[in-house]
Amino acid sequence: MKTTNILGAVAALMLGGAGFAYADAIKLEGGKDTSMILLPKFLGILVFDQANEGAQEAHKELANPGKLDFTGPTPENSVAGQIEIMTTAATQKLGAVMLSNNAGDQIAPAAEAAQAAGTKVVTWDSPIPSAKGESVFVAQVDFGSIGVVMADMAHSILGGAGEMAVLSATPDAANQNAWIEAMKKTLAEDAKYKDIKLVDVVYGDDQSEVSYNRALALVDKYPNLGLIMAPTTVGIQAAAKAMQDEGLCDRVRVSGLGLPSEMVSYTMNGCAPEFALWDFRDLGYLSYYTAYGLATGQLKGEIGETFTAGRMGDYTIEADPGREGAKRILMGPFTVYNKDNVEAAAK
Amino acid sequence: MTGLFHRLSPQGLRILALLAVILLLLAFFASQIDGYFNARLFSRISGSVAIMALIATAQTLVILTRNIDLSIGSVVGFTAFAAGNLVSSNPEMSALLLVLFCCCFGACFGAVNGLIVAYGRVPSIIVTLATMAIFRSLLVEYSDGKSITTNTLPAWLTEFPNMPVFTVFGLEFRAAFVAALTLVFAVHLALTRLRPMRQFFAVGSNPEAAEMAGIDARRVVFSAFVLSGALAGLAGLMFLARFGNITVVAGLGFELKSVAAAVVGGVNIFGGSGTVIGALLGAVLVDVIDTSLVRWAIVSEFWREAVLGALILLSVTTDTLFTRRLVAWRAARAHARREAALNREARP
Repeated sequence: MKTTNILGAVAALMLGGAGFAYADAIKLEGGKDTSMILLPKFLGILVFDQANEGAQEAHKELANPGKLDFTGPTPENSVAGQIEIMTTAATQKLGAVMLSNNAGDQIAPAAEAAQAAGTKVVTWDSPIPSAKGESVFVAQVDFGSIGVVMADMAHSILGGAGEMAVLSATPDAANQNAWIEAMKKTLAEDAKYKDIKLVDVVYGDDQSEVSYNRALALVDKYPNLGLIMAPTTVGIQAAAKAMQDEGLCDRVRVSGLGLPSEMVSYTMNGCAPEFALWDFRDLGYLSYYTAYGLATGQLKGEIGETFTAGRMGDYTIEADPGREGAKRILMGPFTVYNKDNVEAAAK
Repeated sequence: MTGLFHRLSPQGLRILALLAVILLLLAFFASQIDGYFNARLFSRISGSVAIMALIATAQTLVILTRNIDLSIGSVVGFTAFAAGNLVSSNPEMSALLLVLFCCCFGACFGAVNGLIVAYGRVPSIIVTLATMAIFRSLLVEYSDGKSITTNTLPAWLTEFPNMPVFTVFGLEFRAAFVAALTLVFAVHLALTRLRPMRQFFAVGSNPEAAEMAGIDARRVVFSAFVLSGALAGLAGLMFLARFGNITVVAGLGFELKSVAAAVVGGVNIFGGSGTVIGALLGAVLVDVIDTSLVRWAIVSEFWREAVLGALILLSVTTDTLFTRRLVAWRAARAHARREAALNREARP
């Protein structure tokens, strides 16, 4: 890990010069014709729809005469469906595909084929782990800092000591896995968290009933469990409901990443005192600006390039510290919700 | 005791064998997991069986007629979503109306399947494989990316599943479980006592013979799908009440779970024989395995599905062999006794 950090630093230094050349943020010129698709993990999840709202907003703002399609696989066909849509995109001569990857590295060959056909692949929410076939990743937040935030929420909810377990989405979700790793690293490295024990990681497949049953099983399996950390919007509400239904909220709390509108009642009654999330509308908006810039040739996709993404301000393409050889644009920050601010955000 | 044993039908024997397998499994897991037996274990299993029992019963009705319904998970998910939508925009609506809505809503999906299978003469595995995807895609379209959340539902609905009805030996029977049990027994009574429902067995064991006997096989298959859809709709309501948060993935994978429960419960996959009580016990068995495996430290997350599959296979084989042996042994005993009686008569 240390070596990659140093390599990253060296790369940043070497490219520092290039950075100066772009010191003035590139202002993207609107009105250029390029058709793009926004490809979520699967259709029918609220946060992906919010990302689409953001992308559509940017699409109008840039007055792109091309089409912006929001298409995705059905939930039971996510991995194969994503690869299929990516493969088709290459033959359709699209400008860019904006992908929230749920297929791990399996999608890399299709993404590389798309690149070869002139279609840019911008990932958002969840990257291609090996970065093969990926132009740039629009990261919602720094993956390492999500680990710190989750560790901090655990620390404050458990009062500094106790047992916690993770209830994640699917075993091959690249983003969740990276966040859990980052949290493990934080827990292990900082003495502040030495009394917090991570006892298990289980997967609820992003389905309410599986997550609900897994959460209860965790409570049965670990009698001293104090916290369930669910870095997924489906898992966190299922776990909170399970604890509430069984009257366990005074013993086992729930935290993680959740939507304020879905979590407000659990935060107010103490089942999920704290959780975090970023704005998916902004993420869709920024991804669109990035993809539009790349597809119209106004951005080259090189490290150090800075551009203006409409209402959100200036962003710079940088080396991704978590994935060697990958490039990212860091959106950030995210909000930690508790009973003081959740009601306002839920409206 | 032996008299009762001899009077039991093969199906009754099978149910006894299933109960034995469930008890063996519970004993096995109790030896592996600390603090396994407690009142909570019963609540856990009865809670999820409440939904699974309805789906297994719905699936059984269709399998009895020599068909299969793979779209059942999509119907459960769609009904859960639609009911959630309806009740959150009309929080004052009566419970009875909501139950009726779910029944009819599910029955409509069942009718679509039934029409194509019975009157279009398309094999049910093809029809329902297609409608599984179609219903799910319609749900994705209908949901518009929104999800139903618990806080928009009226309190009476979300509190219903966990309402304690009565307690026996410290085991709490909750409303959802009691309601599901009542429904399963009602279907059982109907299947064994009502002439139109008896026809399910006739059509399933031999459609040609049933036609010859004057049974309208198409109408029977159609009604099996409609009834099964209505039960799936009720399961959808139960799903909504228990989990509260409904996304478009609700009920995903239920088609296979329901087939597993029915087959484990001794329902013949080729139609014509089986009981819904068996399917209920099958659902219990699958859930005992599933719940316990999560708590069994030896089995890692990635192996759980495989172990679940292996255990299901093991219990079905044990159950089949055991039942077959028992039936054969009983027949041999009866035969021996008749022989003995004949011999006694022959010798003055």
